[in-house]
Amino acid sequence: MKRAKRLTAFQIWLMILGAIVAAGAAAGGIVFARGLVVTNLTDLVPWGLWITIDLSSIALSAGAFTLSAAVYLLDLRQYRPVARTAVFIGLIGYSMAVCTLLLDIGRPDRFWHALVFWNPHSVLWEVTMCVALYFSVLVLETLPILGEADFLRGRWPRLAEKMRAMHRHAPILAVVGLGLSLLHQSSLGATYGVLKAKPIWFRPGLSVLFILSAMAGGPALTLLASMIAGRVSKWAVVDDRLVDPLARFVGWVLVGYLYFRMWDALAMTYTYLPGRNEGLRLLTRGPLAINFWLGEILLGALLPAVVLLRGSLRRKPLLRMLALALVVGGVVAYRWDTNLVGQMVLLSYLPHQIAPRYTMYFPSLVEMVAGAGVIAYGLMAFSLGVRYLKVVDHGRAGEAHLARVPAPASGD
Amino acid sequence: MSEKSRSMQMPVNRRGFLMIAAGAGCGAALLRGGQHAWANEAHAESPHRWAMVIDVGRCEGCGYCTLACRAHNDVPPWISWNQVVTCEEMGEETHFIPRPCMHCEHAPCVEVCPVKASYRRPDGIVMMDYDRCIGCRYCQVACPYLARAFNWEAFTGPNPAVPTWGQPEVPRRPRGVVEKCSFCYQRIDRGLARGLKPGVDQEATPACVVACPVGARVFGDLNDPQSQVSRLLRERPHCRLRDDLGTEPRVYYLQPGPPEG
Repeated sequence: MKRAKRLTAFQIWLMILGAIVAAGAAAGGIVFARGLVVTNLTDLVPWGLWITIDLSSIALSAGAFTLSAAVYLLDLRQYRPVARTAVFIGLIGYSMAVCTLLLDIGRPDRFWHALVFWNPHSVLWEVTMCVALYFSVLVLETLPILGEADFLRGRWPRLAEKMRAMHRHAPILAVVGLGLSLLHQSSLGATYGVLKAKPIWFRPGLSVLFILSAMAGGPALTLLASMIAGRVSKWAVVDDRLVDPLARFVGWVLVGYLYFRMWDALAMTYTYLPGRNEGLRLLTRGPLAINFWLGEILLGALLPAVVLLRGSLRRKPLLRMLALALVVGGVVAYRWDTNLVGQMVLLSYLPHQIAPRYTMYFPSLVEMVAGAGVIAYGLMAFSLGVRYLKVVDHGRAGEAHLARVPAPASGD
Repeated sequence: MSEKSRSMQMPVNRRGFLMIAAGAGCGAALLRGGQHAWANEAHAESPHRWAMVIDVGRCEGCGYCTLACRAHNDVPPWISWNQVVTCEEMGEETHFIPRPCMHCEHAPCVEVCPVKASYRRPDGIVMMDYDRCIGCRYCQVACPYLARAFNWEAFTGPNPAVPTWGQPEVPRRPRGVVEKCSFCYQRIDRGLARGLKPGVDQEATPACVVACPVGARVFGDLNDPQSQVSRLLRERPHCRLRDDLGTEPRVYYLQPGPPEG
């Protein structure tokens, strides 16, 4: 009785997500058929909502490399089940980014050009190469998870065994993944940071801030998703002895992030560069102010840092989940603001005309529906993973691993 | 001369080293060093350095240049490769600044393009490879002069600027790529092949220069000390847009009126 009820709830959840994915696919069809004219993007603001989803899903996938490095390089083996979840979320996140990018670029049929026509001077080329390579790493890292699926083991046991055997290469994959991630997660900040034409962006700190916020947001999303799954799904098993110290780790990363942000903000405030001051004003007092102060700083970083570092608060599951969700939201808010603020200030190129003008951007319905479709796809993939691949299983995955390492017991 | 040959030799050794370094994962940062050497190499290959000089004092803001540009390059009416911008009023006079692509020597768009669809020709023209562009629009975000336009939709149907302002000389760009002024490279190249002199012979000169009714635009070769652009830059006070950025534009503006102290 109870079981049937739960399954129904899961099915309803999937149906809702499926409907959003279908609507997103329809919106994507409109984009491909009619071109980017259906967006609210302009020649003045050519990067909008979809770029934010790109940047956010890549940043929030950073749990994969962070936790894999912790498990395989720092030898914190007990966190292996959490790293497993993170890797799966990473694969979903990067595939979301690829989907959004295909929507966003004017010629999706030429997406492979960056892999063939290299421009090593372009930060975006480096990001593209790293993302492509790291996506391959994530696929390899996810193979053992897929190989554990009952469906595969029943149908093609030898293939499933081969896929699970990829696990042995996990340490190497963790090293490669760490290198690639450190490169492109920071370079996504540098994508903005190298543009001299936009003084609010033009600074080296952006790459540091991008990777630090990703290292907070990525693990935060992994923990949040695990905790939610543990509460609503009987297929997920969550061990609080693993989640609690990692949540504390997120808190410390936030402290580091806030430290660098403070100096970054001070340095920007007192450089008085035309265009930079105006950008700062948009953030602190202008149309982005609420998003900046609440979304990025107070709720997005300060408050969760306090909750996650204070044991008595962190141990309350609901409060911890709220804090983790705020971290995730803070990363998204930071990406949105960063992308938009540089484009909103129109610095004049005319002599004698120092006062900049401003422009605004708000996504069109097609952009929002297509973006929602991508996000719903991510949620759906994760939900299915929890249900059929048991990607959140802090009990069994740990045991299975311990059984496998000393002697491959189950015939290999 | 000796300095030039040294800078041409350097990348050979460095490139070999870079192959290994890139594999180690730090290639992207190190490769930057090779770039200027390549630029010099390319620089040395062409006998020409094309430049445009615009006399702000003469420009009346009629916009003929924009229309001629649209016709000869088959640009849609909603895009201006060459925009005439009205300056803020200074006293009683209104000044206009026609803004083509600046064809920067250190072009941000060329640096950031992930696929080298934007590239710089040896003669200094910053070109677009429309068959290669993926439409990521990074160049648009990077350009300080707003000189680039994205094809948000396909341009179909007749071009209203044709035939009044000229005939198209280049193929129309497809939907989804970024386009911009090319200094009418097609006129320069075809003219040179026929033994004409760009900047002197109309058929070999950018359409906007030919169309200007008041002679506010001059085009020519900076490598030729006798060319009109070289002469004007020697004789008249001039400036470039956002010179502080270090982009080294190839479009110069003669200052209006008598130079004041």
